[in-house]
Amino acid sequence: MRLRILIVASVAILGCFTIVQAQRGYNPFHDDDDSPAPMPPDASEKTEWAFARLIYPSGRFYGPRGYWTIDSPKADRQFSLGVRRLTRIHTRSKEEFVSLDNDDVFKWPWLYAVETGHWMLTDENCKKLREYLLRGGFLMTDDFHGSEEWEVFMAGMSRIFPDRPIVEIENHDPIFHVLYDLDERVQVPGIVNYPFHQTHEKDGTVPHWRAIYDDRGRIMVAMCFNQDNGDAWEWADSPNYPEKFASQAFRTGINYIIYSMTH
Amino acid sequence: MFEFLFKYPATVFSKGQFVLLGAWPVWALGLAIVAIAIGLGWHVRRSRGFLTGARPVAIWLLETLLAALMLFLLWHPAISIATLRPQQNIVSVLIDDSRSMSIREDGKTRLEQAVSGLNNGVLDALRKRFQVRLYRFGKDLERIDKTDQVTGAAKASRIGDGITQALADSSTLPLGAVVLLSDGADNSGGIDRDTIAQIRQRQIPVHTVGFGKEKLTRDIEISDVSLPARTLADARLAAEVTVRSFGYAGQKVKLAVRDGGKVLASQDVTLKTDGAPQTEQLQFNAGIAGAKSYQFSVEPVAGEENTGNNAITRLVNVESSKPRILYMEGEPRWEFKFIRRAVEDDRSLELDTILRTTQNKIYTQGFANQKEAEKGFPAKAEELFVFSGLVIGDVEANYFTAAQQELIREFANRRGGGILFLGGRATLSDGGYPHSPLAELLPVKLLDRKETFHRDQATFELSPLGRDSIICRLEEKPERNVERWKKMPVLADFQEVGEAKPGAVVLADVNAAGKKKSPLLVTENYGRGRTALFATSGSWRWQMLQDHTDKTHEMFWTQMLRWLVTDTPGRVMSSTPKTVFADETKVPLRAEVRDKSYRPLSNVRVEARIVGPEGSAASVELNPAPLEEGVYTAEFTAEKPGSYVTEIVVKPPDGAKPDAEDLGRDVIMFRREDGVAENFRVAQNRELLEKLAEQTGGRYYTAKDMAKLADQISYSEAGITTRETKDIWDMPVVFLFALSLRAAEWLLRRKWGVV
Repeated sequence: MRLRILIVASVAILGCFTIVQAQRGYNPFHDDDDSPAPMPPDASEKTEWAFARLIYPSGRFYGPRGYWTIDSPKADRQFSLGVRRLTRIHTRSKEEFVSLDNDDVFKWPWLYAVETGHWMLTDENCKKLREYLLRGGFLMTDDFHGSEEWEVFMAGMSRIFPDRPIVEIENHDPIFHVLYDLDERVQVPGIVNYPFHQTHEKDGTVPHWRAIYDDRGRIMVAMCFNQDNGDAWEWADSPNYPEKFASQAFRTGINYIIYSMTH
Repeated sequence: MFEFLFKYPATVFSKGQFVLLGAWPVWALGLAIVAIAIGLGWHVRRSRGFLTGARPVAIWLLETLLAALMLFLLWHPAISIATLRPQQNIVSVLIDDSRSMSIREDGKTRLEQAVSGLNNGVLDALRKRFQVRLYRFGKDLERIDKTDQVTGAAKASRIGDGITQALADSSTLPLGAVVLLSDGADNSGGIDRDTIAQIRQRQIPVHTVGFGKEKLTRDIEISDVSLPARTLADARLAAEVTVRSFGYAGQKVKLAVRDGGKVLASQDVTLKTDGAPQTEQLQFNAGIAGAKSYQFSVEPVAGEENTGNNAITRLVNVESSKPRILYMEGEPRWEFKFIRRAVEDDRSLELDTILRTTQNKIYTQGFANQKEAEKGFPAKAEELFVFSGLVIGDVEANYFTAAQQELIREFANRRGGGILFLGGRATLSDGGYPHSPLAELLPVKLLDRKETFHRDQATFELSPLGRDSIICRLEEKPERNVERWKKMPVLADFQEVGEAKPGAVVLADVNAAGKKKSPLLVTENYGRGRTALFATSGSWRWQMLQDHTDKTHEMFWTQMLRWLVTDTPGRVMSSTPKTVFADETKVPLRAEVRDKSYRPLSNVRVEARIVGPEGSAASVELNPAPLEEGVYTAEFTAEKPGSYVTEIVVKPPDGAKPDAEDLGRDVIMFRREDGVAENFRVAQNRELLEKLAEQTGGRYYTAKDMAKLADQISYSEAGITTRETKDIWDMPVVFLFALSLRAAEWLLRRKWGVV
């Protein structure tokens, strides 16, 4: 009897999971959660800048290592290719994973954090990130959508900066003009939206470019909310991913890097 | 003793001319000496007996010398000398009446020693032979009748002016000599060449009598303070303070600098050997803009003989101007961002940056006028020279055109700006600099190879010269500063360069694993300006690897960039030789005027508008200096003690449109002080008195030798003279010489057993 109940329950759970997965639609690109990419031949070159991806605890299981790995390393390497090609920044072809468990983070003044709607920062993580940002570091957060993920994001961010407001970045802010003029921006969709009849996820219908400023009016944290630049970098080489989204994602990312290197 | 042996004082021999009064010609004397030498030689050879080797030669030599001496005396040798005719000449006696002459030594003031010396026979002896004019002098000369009219209260002593006035007072009279009684403590910094030349022209000997100890027993004096006349607000100033002490070697004293009553910096100083000038560096913050009067002082020590020389004042014009620095960067990099941030709060600097973000785009920041930045790096002198400093980042040499490279050179050379070169993967040796004109500007030799830039951690090692540099001062106390540098995080990268050029100053070296130590931070003067090299782009780690409240990164870069521009001249640069004029009323003014391209500007009108104490105002026209293009000078008489503010205004040349604007202006400040200088250098300045006597044909006497003055003063070419001939054949020394020759021959013969 017990065995029968166990089998039925297992089948029911598996069935539900399958139905939920089916709701996400067919994904023609997704081979692996880590989105593998070949190791570039000059991966060990010492450069001024590298795509520094923040490692953070996310609690819930996703992929082999956690939410912070999403789109990596393909997105990181394709975006780095763009940075190398479109700017004079001395750029490494391979990404750098940066942990908050040691002080290495201070050697990477530009940081990218993906899926920050899932981060579960410890007090130590918050303290270190706060110090990092106050010393002059820059954090770009991306690929988090809707009110629920915003709340999770804020649960961490409000412990990093309980005293600083989060504001919409005005169009005239230098971050939108430091290299490319980004006055007219659109919502950059994730690959989950394929074939892009809609560009939003969850209830995140309106894209936001938000920021936390320091005392001198310089952006410390730039939040790409309700958008997925990481996916745009990752799939920019695919004919199925619309060019206009990929272009904006590259321009936004490059502007954010150059801004962080000039302000 | 001299006079006993030579019959006359040394002056007779030094001033007189040697003559032979004998009737026979001089050639006859030579002939006679040769003849007698031959005769004696023949005689000695014939009768040498047992004498062999050099012995007969020695005998011949002694006999010949004696015979020659006798012949010489027969020709009647004498000294012909000019002497002042009795009672027909004037001798001016000048007594130093300044306060330093009131210093009491061995129970008597210097003045009392001088007066008693004069009254105890010297004046009487002089009056027997000459008409004596008695004067006292401080700042000015005043004739007196009696020696008791001196007071020792004059606030300053001007020896040169005193003598000049005494000469003028007797210009139509037969002045035979000047006698100067002084301690040599002159407040005008010595006696100028013109005054000496004037005295020499009239051939009037100045005999000097020195009073006062040549070394004080127990005293500490701040002899000098070297400090720039102008600086920027909040700038770090490094004052070189010269201290001299007597009797306190090894003792620790506190050296301090104050602005008003507030102590800006202080440090303990261990006093060195007696009388040896020792230089101590005192660094402090200039504070907000305005005219600053900094007082440097050493706390008085128990038993000090003179405490009036323990403090000295210097005036500094802390300018409110905001010099502009142009930073040209070849690619986005962290060093750029963090340098910008470091000086963002500096209210005395404006950092304008041009950054090459892509191959064809630039991003500019800081420019008030964006049009200025549109074309990128300036191509014209008048565009580049509006900046006071230039920072060249990771920019390859051929990014600049040949004309721009020459402009950069002229920026330092002609404009007088400061240029800082940073390290990077596309600059210096890796950027083609070794074979470009820019290499000349660098304070180091460049390696003639590529791959000199390494993204490897490296340590900043402060050099001994770096310890005293205002660029590298992170802590007030020198020893703490050294320790602070040792704790600084490592640099992210470094660039290898060759050795420092001659004249360059290495402030720090870089030390990296597996690499030879290489100059890292080097400075050099170039033309009217200065250049520096910081062979890294990795100092941003000092910011990111230290707590966000730590300000060392900001401090270093603020000091670095201020150093770059603090001494950069403007188009109108006015100056005075010093900022504090102690007991001096004549203030030389100088203005250097340049056009927008910083070429000397002639044919303009330069006016000094001076506002002095109690609101007194004056205006002085500056005239073109004859040999210096673009330089205008004038002399202003500052009668009242106090502070003076001088605005130098450059106006268009005559004939310009009436509404033409002024071409530029500058402000300088100076101060007049009375009665302060007499407290300094109070020991007898024997060197000055001796030189004065020597250069004018007089003689220096100590207070003890003063009695001889009247006898020796007579020998002078000045005034109404008569020539005297003084026989010298009968000098005791001649007799003794003849006797010693004879005695030497006799002793030698005795020794050799031939007598």
